[in-house]
Amino acid sequence: MFEFIKEFFTNYSDIYPVIALSLRVSLTAALVASLFGLTLGVITALHEFKLKKPLMRVTNTLMSLPPVLIGLLVYMLISRKGPLGSYGLLFSPSAMIIAQCALVFPIIFGLTVSSVSEAAKDIELTCITLGAGRRDTILTILSECRMQLLSVVTAGFGRAISEVGAVMMVGGNIRGKTRVMTTYIALETGKGNFEEAVFIGFVLLFISFIINITLYRIQRRE
Amino acid sequence: MVITVENLVKDYGSARVLDIETLQLNSGINVILGSNGSGKSTLISLISGLLKPSSGNILYNGKKFDASIRNNISVLVQKPYLFRKSSYENIISGLKYRKVNRDEIETRVDKHLHYLDVEDLLNKKSHWLSGGERAKIALLRTVVLETEVTMLDEPTAAMDIESTFKAEVLLRDMASNKRTVIVVTHDVFQARRIADYVLFMDKGKIIEMGLKNDVLDNPRSTLLKQILNK
Repeated sequence: MFEFIKEFFTNYSDIYPVIALSLRVSLTAALVASLFGLTLGVITALHEFKLKKPLMRVTNTLMSLPPVLIGLLVYMLISRKGPLGSYGLLFSPSAMIIAQCALVFPIIFGLTVSSVSEAAKDIELTCITLGAGRRDTILTILSECRMQLLSVVTAGFGRAISEVGAVMMVGGNIRGKTRVMTTYIALETGKGNFEEAVFIGFVLLFISFIINITLYRIQRRE
Repeated sequence: MVITVENLVKDYGSARVLDIETLQLNSGINVILGSNGSGKSTLISLISGLLKPSSGNILYNGKKFDASIRNNISVLVQKPYLFRKSSYENIISGLKYRKVNRDEIETRVDKHLHYLDVEDLLNKKSHWLSGGERAKIALLRTVVLETEVTMLDEPTAAMDIESTFKAEVLLRDMASNKRTVIVVTHDVFQARRIADYVLFMDKGKIIEMGLKNDVLDNPRSTLLKQILNK
């Protein structure tokens, strides 16, 4: 088995940049989406306002939005004739990050609101009684709910790295430039190269396994 | 600090939960007595600025509520939340929010720690504490802020008798420094032990108020007479 893996990586050395790009694109997308999703999620969880229920319904709908639709919308936005066409983002890793951000943001935002809503109000009240300002209160809520939020971010990252439709559309699956693991699998399957496709599938699975083990260890330590 | 309340009303929809014509809280221990739902917690939430009144005024040494007054008020709510940190980190959390320097934090913690015998709990994470231990840490967290006004909503409800007596010594010492301490409790015996002034509330209104002995030794209302078995 070990020999096979060694041989595979020697024969298919072009796989390293694919794995590296996958991780770079998905980690960046998850990070950016988390930055906005967690902050806005906590703020939304703390406030009661008229449009909160409709907002959450829209968010829930967006959480299950088909990736190809996101891909289409981002494509229209960044294609040459689109409003952001002048930036030349189409078929670049940046375009893939934008698409994954759009896909992951509603998931992180929606799950944050639902997972911290109850605890956030108790924590906010305690922070106010102790004299904390707005910024300290939000930071404390993020810190106190870190385990729930870590799971939320992990779910977001999992969604991003396993996504294929949107990144295929806006990235173009260009070898050495925008090819990521999922688009690589799709391509190799289409060509009938199941061995490579399955192997990359295992790499994806392994990354997911590592993330879950890390999360479990952090939870145990807490 | 003297707190004056004038025509204070709090409504939730069509339900009036608090209606107070006039009230003055002075330095010393002011105990608010009353049964469940009598408006005690609502009153301290309004005074501490956690709730906004539907109408009426609350004045603090004659001034309206602002940031400087907010910094001079601390509150211990009925079900305090302890952060997922050590007891020590919990005790100093309010001081850190208020940007108190390290030396001063140490001084204040040392000054108050012995009252409740919590030295052994300092490194213990809050989620390993018992209900009574949590109550002690939450009380200390509020007390170390050393604000002019301290409001405590049933601070000893989860404590055993011995700890309750110790906490009462702490409250008495706080009040002896000319601070205004407001304590909400159901326990008339505790009111007898610690109060300088007693307010008795029912259905959102103040039924009786005055010096402890005046209210508890010569109750005028039927309800308070019943509670005191007089």
